[in-house]
Amino acid sequence: MATVQTEQVTLTVNGQSVTVPKGTLILDAAKKIGIDIPIFCSHPKMAPVAVCRMCLVEVEKMPKLQPACAVYVADGMVVKTTTEQVNKYQKGVLEFLLINHPLDCPICDKGGECPLQDQTYQYGPGASRYQFDKAHFDKAVPLSDKILLDRERCVLCWRCTRFSEEISGERELALIQRGVHTIIGTFNDEPAKSAYQGNWTEICPVGALTSRQYRFISRPWDLDRTPSICPGCSMGCNIQIDARNNKIGRFQSRENLAVDDSWLCDYGRYSFPNFQRQSMERPRVRRDGRLEEVAYEDAIAFTVDALKRAGGQAAGWASPADTNEELVLFRRLFREVLRSPHLDHRSAAVPDAEPDDMSLAIADIERLDCAVVLGGQEVIDAAPVLHLRLFKAQRKGLTVLKVGAGQVAEAVAGVRPDCTVVGILATEANKAAAVELQSKLQRKVKGSVRRLLVTTGPNGRGAKDLGILPHLGPGYASLNGQAGKGRTEWPGAGLRALYVHESSPLHGFTPSDAESMWLPTLPLIVFHRFKPSPLDEMAHVILPGHAFTEKDGTVTNMEGRVQRISRGLDADWVLEDWRVFQEIANGLGAGWAYESVADITAELVGSLPPYAALNRGERVLWSEPG
Amino acid sequence: MALREILLGPIYIVRALLTTFKHNTRPIVTIEYPERQKAVPPRERGKHILHRYADGLEKCVGCELCAIACPVGCIVVEAAENTPEHRVSPGERYAKRYEINLLRCIYCGMCEEACPYDAITMGPRYDLADDHPDKFIAVKEDMLEPLSASVADTAVPSGAPSAQPVARKW
Repeated sequence: MATVQTEQVTLTVNGQSVTVPKGTLILDAAKKIGIDIPIFCSHPKMAPVAVCRMCLVEVEKMPKLQPACAVYVADGMVVKTTTEQVNKYQKGVLEFLLINHPLDCPICDKGGECPLQDQTYQYGPGASRYQFDKAHFDKAVPLSDKILLDRERCVLCWRCTRFSEEISGERELALIQRGVHTIIGTFNDEPAKSAYQGNWTEICPVGALTSRQYRFISRPWDLDRTPSICPGCSMGCNIQIDARNNKIGRFQSRENLAVDDSWLCDYGRYSFPNFQRQSMERPRVRRDGRLEEVAYEDAIAFTVDALKRAGGQAAGWASPADTNEELVLFRRLFREVLRSPHLDHRSAAVPDAEPDDMSLAIADIERLDCAVVLGGQEVIDAAPVLHLRLFKAQRKGLTVLKVGAGQVAEAVAGVRPDCTVVGILATEANKAAAVELQSKLQRKVKGSVRRLLVTTGPNGRGAKDLGILPHLGPGYASLNGQAGKGRTEWPGAGLRALYVHESSPLHGFTPSDAESMWLPTLPLIVFHRFKPSPLDEMAHVILPGHAFTEKDGTVTNMEGRVQRISRGLDADWVLEDWRVFQEIANGLGAGWAYESVADITAELVGSLPPYAALNRGERVLWSEPG
Repeated sequence: MALREILLGPIYIVRALLTTFKHNTRPIVTIEYPERQKAVPPRERGKHILHRYADGLEKCVGCELCAIACPVGCIVVEAAENTPEHRVSPGERYAKRYEINLLRCIYCGMCEEACPYDAITMGPRYDLADDHPDKFIAVKEDMLEPLSASVADTAVPSGAPSAQPVARKW
């Protein structure tokens, strides 16, 4: 297919000439040459509505001022954004917007990062001429258990209602009444059920929609902002950890067009209390049936002695929320130092993983003709932001077929044979069905069929890639008959020690019934974890570790994109998890000498060539995409 | 020479004593400091006062504008939400924690300037000496007006409805 040459047009903005593709808005053309036009209702992800009238600019030969966010450029257009008339209108629009705005910035959570506040200072009049009482509406109306709506602060920009209609497709928020009585609300004032409500607070240009969890926690200038990755699921959405006094205030989204398209789901966004440390914990060792606080050296020495006795009969479980660097050392500790093959990262419910290319990228969903969601809502629940990508593609013409996990025949029948690019989305648990569907569809349709599996945990894909599996080594290499036993087979396998490493309470080691019977019979349980859990009662050694939000490293998302996480909170008294692995390994006779996380990352990239993608910001691919 | 001094000596002594006695009759300038204190000018910038409305509710809403205006960064504010059971200030928000490091404070009055609710003002107290650095961290209770005095508080703007915080017109 030949690339379509987009027609270019040249226009003048404030005397500067700029060339942009046809179909660009004046606003974006001005932004390209660094000219700022104030906006409230316009949003790059949503269709223009031009309701706030803040972006009015002068266009030569047009009788009245035009909204820059809704007028497309034309060849030879002459736009002026700083004339006296434009300034007068900007002042007028702001004066009108502020007539009924309560101006309660001192108590508003948006104060300090509020577009209305900023633009009033930059473009607004110094004082209001309005002498009468302001109109009063309801304040702090709970829209759901997550969001509060302040109807007085609302400037009716429609961003939230448009998000609800165009981005999430749930149509939960609507404009009710008319004129000055217009309010934002849900149908019948029922609580909103959307899984994407946090985005409303982020796109609101005033303090009308605010988060209940973040209510009065902090001012924007108090926050320490750290770029990181969401620990909720395997999507790998980019987040910013906003913390005040070493306490997380909120997770905000960071735009990564290839992954999250600048949105977050509520499950991930509001999961942060799970990553907040409650107490200053010390390592503990069980002596005479009681857990005693000891120094790290003593706890590690105790673990080394006990693991030496267990040797090849020690099993290791690493959480799918660990970083790649921790997983590299964890695997080497078991496979190379202890010579034990019993390594796993999965929960009991997930079947064996196989080498897999997972060649469909998240962003490529938009380029599909037909997408089969095998498992329907189950897949969306496992990675909620996928829904936003699917819905965006659906609005552009993608056919989405949602079928049950076992309904392969229905899925094959539902896909039109003339489709050229077909995608299959499924969870890890339904992998066998997805592979079957892929081969059947490949025979039916003309073009290519690719699949994307939603893995478990923010780094479930990394755990597989790096060989935290009983039967495979790093890079899905065969173990040549040295395969160990998987987690489901551990009870009754005659094991003598279990090492559990978990850094996220969302993806912890939850014992099954069989395991609950088996765990108390084990001579040694080492529990290396971040937060107190019921497993503490059975553990012989408890080693405090860092939470997902407290460490540096890399994680691999479901499509194989390796992204960095960084330390957003300090917990200096806790020994870094990889250092604990290194000291245990050195106690057992290994001679590791890693100085920092970067050393391990460098070794990882060196030993597994596909992981060199990390340095290019690309995806890790184990085979060429078909 | 020596004889002259012997003859004039008593005169010198009497003259010196006269000077001494003359000062005894003059008004006293010094005061017994810790027991008595001088009246200060009405706009003295001493230790901060956190004001209340006439009904006893605190004026401070915990907006942290004083903290960001403070040139030395000696103010720490943490806000919380008022509930019907626990109401501290009239609006939605109050200062759960309000601390000023009085050793670091330069008594410039910028906090007073920044406050949109006239909740903090510089008070007349200057007797701030103490024996340990920790005692110079003034917490909210150290600065709040006592409840009984609040009725006589002239700092409440006349005619201001106390049920709603009064925002300054911009």
